[in-house]
Amino acid sequence: MSIRMTVRLALAMAVCFVPPTALAQASAAAPYQVTGGTQVDAHTLSGWRTWRALACERCHGAAQEGMVGPSLVGSLKVLSKDQFKEVVLKGRIEKGMPNFDGSKMVVENIDNLYAYLKGRSDGAIEPGRLQEIGK
Amino acid sequence: MLFQNRFTCWSACLALAAGAATAADSDVAKLTQDPKVWAMQAGDLNNHRYSELKQITSKNARDLTVAWTFSTGVLRGHEGGPLVLGDMMYIHSPFPNKVFAISLEDQSIRWKYEPKQDPAVIPVMCCDTVNRGVAYANGKIFLQQADTTLVALDAKTGDELWKIKVGDPKRGETTTNTPHVFKDKIITGISGGEFGVRGRITAHDIDTGKILWTAWSTGPDKDLLVDPAKTMTWTDGKMAPIGPDSSLKTWQGDQWKLGGGTTWGWYSYDPATNLLYYGTGNPSTWNPRQRPGDNRWSMAIFARDLDTGMAKWVYQMTPHDEWDYDGVNEMILADIKVKGQPRKALVHFDRNGFAYTMDRVSGELLVAEKYDPVVNWATHVDMKSGRPQVVAKYSTDKGGPDVNTKGICPSALGTKDQQPASFSRKTGLFYVPTNHVCMDYEPFQIEYTAGQPYVGSTLSMYAAPGSHGGMGNFIAWDAGTGKIVWSKPERFSVWSGALSTAGDVVFYGTLEGYLKAVDLNGKELWKFKTPSGIIGNVTTWEYKGKQYIGVLSGIGGWAGIGLAAGLTKGTEGLGAVGGYKDLAKYTELGGVLTVFALPDR
Repeated sequence: MSIRMTVRLALAMAVCFVPPTALAQASAAAPYQVTGGTQVDAHTLSGWRTWRALACERCHGAAQEGMVGPSLVGSLKVLSKDQFKEVVLKGRIEKGMPNFDGSKMVVENIDNLYAYLKGRSDGAIEPGRLQEIGK
Repeated sequence: MLFQNRFTCWSACLALAAGAATAADSDVAKLTQDPKVWAMQAGDLNNHRYSELKQITSKNARDLTVAWTFSTGVLRGHEGGPLVLGDMMYIHSPFPNKVFAISLEDQSIRWKYEPKQDPAVIPVMCCDTVNRGVAYANGKIFLQQADTTLVALDAKTGDELWKIKVGDPKRGETTTNTPHVFKDKIITGISGGEFGVRGRITAHDIDTGKILWTAWSTGPDKDLLVDPAKTMTWTDGKMAPIGPDSSLKTWQGDQWKLGGGTTWGWYSYDPATNLLYYGTGNPSTWNPRQRPGDNRWSMAIFARDLDTGMAKWVYQMTPHDEWDYDGVNEMILADIKVKGQPRKALVHFDRNGFAYTMDRVSGELLVAEKYDPVVNWATHVDMKSGRPQVVAKYSTDKGGPDVNTKGICPSALGTKDQQPASFSRKTGLFYVPTNHVCMDYEPFQIEYTAGQPYVGSTLSMYAAPGSHGGMGNFIAWDAGTGKIVWSKPERFSVWSGALSTAGDVVFYGTLEGYLKAVDLNGKELWKFKTPSGIIGNVTTWEYKGKQYIGVLSGIGGWAGIGLAAGLTKGTEGLGAVGGYKDLAKYTELGGVLTVFALPDR
C-alpha cells in the first residue's frame, strides 16, 4: 500500500517539477520499493550504502538537501536517469563534482544509487539509515 | 625602487638580520621582532599572534574605521591572512591559490601570481578549498598550493624561482597549510585524513626546494625518524623511551599505511633547543572498529630536531580516536608559570576539548583540562598515564558500526579547529576562539579505494544542548592552572584566528562577518560587519606611523560549508553542519580583505 502511495506521490511531483523530456521516465514504475519510509528493496539499500560509503553527504548534505554541492532532492527532479549517470560517473570537475567512474562500488551500483536518490527526491524514502524490507 | 624604506625599518632590518644570523639562517625570525611588520602567518616563531603595537588601545578602539578594502575575486573559504613587509602586503586566496603583492602606498597590485592547477584536486579536498596563507624569507614568497606543489616566488616580481610537489592528489593528497620557515628550512605538511592519506612533514632547502628529510606519522621507526631508545614519551608519570616499533605495534596489519595522521596545522619552533613542534591528525578511517589499537602516532604532538627531523619527544592526546579529534591545532610556545613554577611551556588547545600544557623541552605533561565545560566524551585526562578517560556511552567504538552514538561533545569540529588562539605576552593569558557544538556519530564499514573518500561515518552536529544556544565562545584561558578566566558566548563558532596587542585589545572575527574588538575582560569595545563571514586570522602592522588591523572575510571551510546552495529549507532534517543553517540569514560568499585604522586627527 505504501508502495502504491509512493508511486502516486512521484507522479504528482513529476507533474509539478519535471521537464517534459524526463516525464516519460518518471511516469514509469518507481525504480525503488519502500515501506514505511525506511525499509527498501535490496537494490535501493545497496544504493544507500554506496551513497554513504562515498561520503556524498560531505557536499550534498546528510539529507541530500545540498551544501557546497546542489540539493539532490531538487536535481533528481530535473535530471534524467542517463544524465544522472553521466554526471556521477564523469563528474563536473569544474564545479567540484568528482568523477566516480574509478570507483568499483559506484560503477556497479549506479542504478541502485539512482533508485535511492530518486526515492529521496520523491519524498518516499526518509533521510538517514535504511533497512531491507522484511529483514 | 620597489621597497621604499623612508618610513619603515625594512632595509635596516634586513641588514641587521644578515649581520646577526649565521650564514645559513633566513631573515624571517629577525623580521618578526619588528612589530611594524607581520612576517609570518602567526606573527612569530612561537605562534603567539601578539603585537607590541599600541596605537590602537582599549580606550580608542571604538573609533576604528575602514581604511581600505581588497577583493580576492574568489568565493569559498578564506582562511589565513596577509603578510606585511615594508611597503608591501602579500595576500593569498583559496583555490586557485592566487597571490597578490599589494603596495601599501596606493593599494595598487604590483604583481599577481595564479598557478595552473588541475581542478580535479577540488573534489579531493576534504573541507572546502581553503589555504592558510603564504610565507616569506630571504626575498622569496612561499606558496603551498592545493595540488601539493610548494612554490617559491620572487617577492619583488612574482616570478617562479622553484617548485616541488610533495604529494599526489590522485591518492587524495592535497595541501592547505601555510609553509613554515624556521631557520634555514621550509617545513610543510599534507592533508587528506579523509582519503586514507599517510601523514608526514617534509623539510626543504629554501634556495632550491630540495627535500632534506621526511618524517612520517605512522609506520616503521626509520620512517618516523625516531630513536626507540632516545625518543621519549609521557609514561606512568614520567618521560620514558618509546621503544621499538612504537607505531607498528598499535595498528592491525597494514592499516598504518592508510593511517592518516596528516599535518595541516600550525607549527612552531624554539631556536634555543632547535626543536620544531607540530601535531598530527585523525587516524583513517573514522570507523574505529576497522583499526583496533592506539593508532600511533596519529593525534599526537611531535617535537623534532629541525636539522635532522629526529623526534625528541612525542605525546598522543587521543589514542584510538573515535570522534575525529585531529591533533593538528597550533602549538604555542610560551614561558609562563605553571602551578607556580616558571616553565618553558608548549600550550595546545586540542580538538578533543582539552587544553594541554607541556614542558616543551622535556615533553612532560603538566596540565590537561577541559576548555569548554560541556566536553563529555572523557571525564578527565589521567595525569599519570596521560590518557583521556573515555565515557563508555560516548564511545563510538563500543557502539560499533551502524549504531548512532548521540550527544557527544565536542563534535568532530572540535572545541577548537585550526583557528589559532593568541597568547598575550603582556597578560600571560591565552585568547581562544572556540566551538560549542555537539554531535551524533554513526560509524560504518568502508573499503579503501585510492583517491576516494575513506570516511566511514555519518555525523549530525548541533549547538551544545542545555547551554546558551550559541555554537561558539571566545574565551580567556590560564594555561598555568588550566582554568577559563572568562567566556564570551557567540551565536556561531568562532572560526577566526585571534590577535592580542600591547594596546590591551583582543580581536577576533565571527561567522556572521563581524570583526570584534574586546578588552582584557572580554567586554566588547567595537564591531564592524565585513562583507562575508570571517574564518581568516586577524593581523596588525604599522605603516607610515599608523597602526592597521586587517582581516580576510569569505565564509567557507568546514564551519561555513553549509552556507552554500540549498541550505535554506530546514525541513530535510539535520545535515552534517545542520546547526549552521542559520548562517544563510547573515552572510554570503566572497573573499575580501578589510583594513582598519584610527581616523586622522
